[in-house]
Amino acid sequence: MSGVLYIFYVLPYIAIAIFIAGVIYRIVNWANSAVPLKIPTTAGQQPCFRFIRRTWIDKIDSPSNKFWAFVRMIFEVFLFRSLFRNTKYYVEKAGKNADTRWLWVFAILFHYSLLVIVIRHLRFFTNPTPKFVSLIEYLDGLVGVAIVPPLLMTGVLALVGLAFLWGRRIFLAKERCISLPSDHLILFFMAVILVSGLLLRYVVKADLSYVKMFALSIITFHPPSPEVLANLHWLFLIHFTFVCITIAYLPFSKVMHFAGVWFSPTRNMPNDNRMRRHVNPWDPNPEVPILARVGITVDGHVFKCKKLDWDTYYEMYKDQLDEIAENNYVLKPEEL
Amino acid sequence: MSEVPEKLEIKQKFPLWKKWLKPVTEKDYKPGFYSYMALPKQVNSDFFKMPFGDVVREPLEKDWKLPENWKNIVLNEMKDTLEKNRAFKVFMDICVRCGACADKCHYYIGTGDPKNMPVMRAETVRSVYRYHFTPFGKIFGDWAGARPLTEEVIKEWYYYMLQCSLCRRCSLFCPYGIDTADIVWWTRRILSRIGINQRFMCISIEASARTGNHLGLYAGGMAGAIQQGLEELKDITGFELHTYINKPGADVLFVAPSADYFATPHWYVMLGYLLLFNELEERYGITVTWSTYASEGGNFGTFHSYEAAQLLNSKIYKEAERLGVKFIIGGECGHMWRDKHQFINTMNNLPKNEEWRRFWEDPDLGQISGGLKGIRLDEFISGEHGWIHILEFVAALIEHKKIDIDKSRNDHWKATYHDPCNVARGMGMLEEPRYVLRNVMNHFYEMPEHTIREKTYCCAAGGGMLADELMELRMRGVMPRMMALRYVVKKYGVNIMLTPCAIDKAQFPVAVEYWKIPVEIGGPMEMVGNALVLTALGEKPEDRKYDLRGTPIREEE
Repeated sequence: MSGVLYIFYVLPYIAIAIFIAGVIYRIVNWANSAVPLKIPTTAGQQPCFRFIRRTWIDKIDSPSNKFWAFVRMIFEVFLFRSLFRNTKYYVEKAGKNADTRWLWVFAILFHYSLLVIVIRHLRFFTNPTPKFVSLIEYLDGLVGVAIVPPLLMTGVLALVGLAFLWGRRIFLAKERCISLPSDHLILFFMAVILVSGLLLRYVVKADLSYVKMFALSIITFHPPSPEVLANLHWLFLIHFTFVCITIAYLPFSKVMHFAGVWFSPTRNMPNDNRMRRHVNPWDPNPEVPILARVGITVDGHVFKCKKLDWDTYYEMYKDQLDEIAENNYVLKPEEL
Repeated sequence: MSEVPEKLEIKQKFPLWKKWLKPVTEKDYKPGFYSYMALPKQVNSDFFKMPFGDVVREPLEKDWKLPENWKNIVLNEMKDTLEKNRAFKVFMDICVRCGACADKCHYYIGTGDPKNMPVMRAETVRSVYRYHFTPFGKIFGDWAGARPLTEEVIKEWYYYMLQCSLCRRCSLFCPYGIDTADIVWWTRRILSRIGINQRFMCISIEASARTGNHLGLYAGGMAGAIQQGLEELKDITGFELHTYINKPGADVLFVAPSADYFATPHWYVMLGYLLLFNELEERYGITVTWSTYASEGGNFGTFHSYEAAQLLNSKIYKEAERLGVKFIIGGECGHMWRDKHQFINTMNNLPKNEEWRRFWEDPDLGQISGGLKGIRLDEFISGEHGWIHILEFVAALIEHKKIDIDKSRNDHWKATYHDPCNVARGMGMLEEPRYVLRNVMNHFYEMPEHTIREKTYCCAAGGGMLADELMELRMRGVMPRMMALRYVVKKYGVNIMLTPCAIDKAQFPVAVEYWKIPVEIGGPMEMVGNALVLTALGEKPEDRKYDLRGTPIREEE
């Protein structure tokens, strides 16, 4: 019996291996694609003559060089800059737009709570627990200190955020329509993990010393004793299994947006097109346009256009062009 | 032109994913929402030859006469796109379907069609990507939101990829910067490989590839149009003005969208350009030339594919080199500036003429004329690009007090400014036009904050959507802009909306008529032209009696 339980010891290695391999594959896969054009979405005043005022927000939203583009990415990734801009359109109020930041608020709550929760979990994997982990846990519990064990805010906030994010996919017609099963699946995983975790802490009160021994055995590559495994609470095993499944699933899911956003050309490129030329890797020397140079090859057929260079153009419209030249290239109002 | 009903209704239904994975096909196409397909004379021409363009195709017919091997071609092309364009690949992978983009799209707001939400527009492509390019999609099929590529899917793509004006408003609000315009652009490119092209944009692309401009104007026609402008200016100002065309050795090449040569209200903007160039030449000796070869600033190729865009914008640097100019000024146009700001110097090699090289070593306009010393272009442009927007240029002239302005000549106008999408989100020129307008007129009012600057609403006619057969889509899509406009018309009595975009200037006159908003449409350079005092030619501020539209500036006393 106890031998079977070693599955739980192997599981995280498999999950993490899949996760790392998957993420690397996805990133390499994206990075291997060419970037033909510099296409930042300019969300603020472009760099221009100095007398044109640019606020610091313009500098971030319409970055003039790589440094500011990096700042823009930081704002995008850590503060959800674009989501913060969100508005809602009211057809019935003659097209009034209003700032709508609920999605931003709950998205921030959810993501940051998750981050804190992950950091807090480090205490299972470290011995002794690092100072910053204890500190974060202490701060997290400040509000809920009256409850024993102290109610950690992030656990609750993550659940609230999750309820909002899932609720809108279930109860709002538009969001229900655009949601795919996979959107619900990942939320379901998160819900199971969060709820089981909260239950373990506040209701079931599993014996955490075994959990910590188990966690340390994973991190130190020393298989745990059968005794540790046998004493793990069944709810913990559910919690743990779902964490592993989620980690393994991430590279194949939309959650890869955390890595993909860094590759988004509308955000990570500076708006310096007129300062620095961007070279298209698959068309580096466009002396003649592709269509007139090699044409398009489809299914073995080549479709090539005739080149309209000046000489061809001149031959085609010689009379008219000569007339313009005869007038010394000057246009004047006609004498009446 | 398709009829647009007097009353527009927005009926919304939100199907679940399994239902919407079923493609919308020609049976569901609604008149006013689908585009005609290109004819052989447009896409099988010598100058614009697209694959399998030799067949006449009818969108409403069941048989789209796709090439035999179409499925392989599309999948190969998709694979190729994934390798050639990182944006496309990343955007296929990282969408979390949060829905932040949904009510940012003017077409979704106006039509209520869930597949017009940017997320769903992209999802029509992503579902195929998942099926053919990801393991989960192949295994779990529709449970993974995946569906195989079928002829019906191609029809759905054609319908929805051509209900997007590439305005990138969604990309602004997307937390990952997913740019639907990029997905749509490259999907249209994929469609073009099996002979599916939209007629409206291909008419212009072919014309521009053959004659140099979208209107298909020959050299003589263009020269004649500009000449007519000079005649009109003689009536208005009393001065005998002139301009150059194809002039070798000029200092500057000027490139405007070809609509400026004929269409109204673009025409008044062209008169503005001509006044400015004459004043500058007389005062500072700077010569600006037009070109019949590079006679198109706009680039409908940017609605079609990378290759088509390159085919059209390749002429301009070549012409700059042939004429031996020092730099290029670009006119008022929206998508032109996405192309000219972000694309042109990647898609083409730079001019190699000596004048260009020498000017950009120390790009101070003082090099051309001592009087213009101090205006330095290298504050944001280098010789690796060499384009300046006419409004940036005018802003600098005003700031350095190089031209004389009489604001009161625009007192009969109360203006608001519409940011063209591509100028705002593909370039970032937000403050310059406002700077110019505040300096050339006394009455300037902004529309509500969420509808201007980088958050500007599209006119719903860009990206190839200016086609007449799309009239209902256009009138619905323009609604958010019209509501914002109506607000300032009611509140401040605005009587003109200014926009530096040729497509806007074509769409808005129709739109304000449909939405019954009593307002004129114009361009900022028209206001500059009105207010510009031709001091060098001997004009006094009070001399001008008529504005560029020929209406009296001051009430008769």
